[in-house]
Amino acid sequence: MDKSNRPFFSNLKCRECGKLYEKKAIHVCEYDFGPLEAAYDYDAIRTSISRAAIESRPQTMWRYRELLPIDGEPTVGAQVGFTPLVKADRLAAKLGIKSLYIKNDTVNYPTLSFKDRVVSVALSRACELGFKVVACASTGNLANSVAANAAAAGLKSYVLIPADLEQGKVLGSLVYGTNVIGIHGPYDQVNRLCSEIAGKYGWGFVNVNLRPYYAEGSKTMGFEICEQLGWRIPRHTVAPMASGSLLTKIHKAYNEFVKVGIVEETKFSVHGAQATGCAPIAHAMQRGTDIVKPVPKPDTIAKSLAIGTPADGYYAIHAMRQTGGGAEDVTDDEIVDGIKLLAEHAGIFAETAGGVTVACAKKLIASGKIPRDEEAVLCITGHGLKTQEAIAGKCGELRLIKPSLREFEEQIYNPDMAATAAKS
Amino acid sequence: MTDKHRLWLMFPTKLITRPIIWELGKIFEVITNIRQCSVNEEIGLVSLELEGDRDEVKRSIAWLEEQGVKVEPVEINTIEG
Repeated sequence: MDKSNRPFFSNLKCRECGKLYEKKAIHVCEYDFGPLEAAYDYDAIRTSISRAAIESRPQTMWRYRELLPIDGEPTVGAQVGFTPLVKADRLAAKLGIKSLYIKNDTVNYPTLSFKDRVVSVALSRACELGFKVVACASTGNLANSVAANAAAAGLKSYVLIPADLEQGKVLGSLVYGTNVIGIHGPYDQVNRLCSEIAGKYGWGFVNVNLRPYYAEGSKTMGFEICEQLGWRIPRHTVAPMASGSLLTKIHKAYNEFVKVGIVEETKFSVHGAQATGCAPIAHAMQRGTDIVKPVPKPDTIAKSLAIGTPADGYYAIHAMRQTGGGAEDVTDDEIVDGIKLLAEHAGIFAETAGGVTVACAKKLIASGKIPRDEEAVLCITGHGLKTQEAIAGKCGELRLIKPSLREFEEQIYNPDMAATAAKS
Repeated sequence: MTDKHRLWLMFPTKLITRPIIWELGKIFEVITNIRQCSVNEEIGLVSLELEGDRDEVKRSIAWLEEQGVKVEPVEINTIEG
C-alpha cells in the first residue's frame, strides 16, 4: 500500500481482452479463457519506490515487493533471490563478445533453481488467500521447490509427477515430507487430471489456479539484473524457454522498472533458448510466425525445458520480436558443450537448461544477432547437481596412480617437460 | 453428474476445414461453447467449453483425440520442469 492506502497490486487482468478480475485464486478469463496476470497501480508505486528505498532493504527478491502480487509482507521464502550477477570475462573471450554476465540462479535458495522465486510468491499469496494445502505437477525443479518451501511454511503439499520419473528426482521432493504421487499415463491425460484436481479440491495449485501470482516471481530475476548492473537494463538478455514465461516476465520487469522511474529507458533485446528436441517457440520464431506448433513427443536431455505445448509461447514470441531479439535451438551434444563451457570458463556448474542458454548464446553471437561489441546477460536457472547424468562420461576421466612421486611425475606432471612446453 | 471442462483444442492442417465441433455435437450429448479461436492455413486453435454428463464428456474428448485433435486443459501445461 502507498501512504493513501492504495494497494500497489490492484487486480488480475486478462492478457487477451483486458477484463479486470478480483485478486482471487483464478487464472483464466471467464469470457475468452485467456490467461490472467497481475496488474498494478504504477502511479502509486512510482510515488513509493526508489533506488534508495530498495537498497535499504535486505538482499532478497522481496526488496522489489511493490511490484510483486501480494498484499502484505511475504510469509514464504523470505530469503529467496538476490543471486550473484557474475562478470564472466573468460567466457566472454571464448564466445567472442565484449562483455558477458551470468545471472547465477544455480545458487538460489533453498533448492538451487530459479523456481524458488516463483514458488515463494505463489505460496506467500496462497497463505494470504487462506489455502492450507498446496500442490504442483512437475518433473523436477518445481516439485523440489514446492516441497521445500511448503515444508518451511508449514503447509501441507502434494507433488504430482509422471510415474516413470527418475528416483533421484523423486527423493529430492520426498525428503521434505511432501506427498509425492506418481501418475501413470500419457502426458495429455496427466495434464488434464492435474487441471481437474486443481478445480475440484480447492487446493492452491501453484502453476494452475495460483499461476498469475506464481509467474510474477520470475520478474525478480530481471529486477536484480538491472540493480546489479548499476541500475540499468542490459542491452541483450538470453533466457531459456520452457513455457516461455520467464522470458516474458524478464521483458515485463525491464518495462516496469522504466515505468516506475527506477531505470532509464534504453534499447534492449530479449532472446530465447530451446533444445532442438523440443523447440516449438524457437522454431515458430525462425519460421516468422506466432503460431506455436505443439511438439507431441519432446526428446532432449534438457528435460526441464521439454514442454511441447508452451502456454506462454505466443507472448514470448511477441516479446522477442518487439525488442529485436532472436531465438535459437541446440542439440544435446551442443547442450553438453554449453555446460562445459560455462563450468570451464566461469566456474559455474549448471543443469542442462543452463547448457541450452550458453550454447544458444554462442550461436546468437556467432550469427551477429547479438553483436560482438555489445554486452549480454545469460540467465542460468538451475544447478548442475540436479542433472549430473546428462554429462556423465563426457567430462574427461579420472586418472589413477599409486602413491609414488615417480609415478606422479611419469604420468601426471613432469616439471622439466612442463617448462619445455611453456617455452614452446 | 454434469461436468464443465475448459479445453484448448489444436487442429492439425488436415483437419482445419472439417466441421469437427459440429460433428461432436451431433454424436455426443454435450454442449459446445466456443470462447476464442484462431485459424490459419497451418493450424486451428479453439478455446472450448464442453458441458455434459461426466462420462459423455470423457467419451467426446477421447473421440476428438481419435480424430487427430490435440486436447489440453486451457491451462495447457500444468506439468512444469
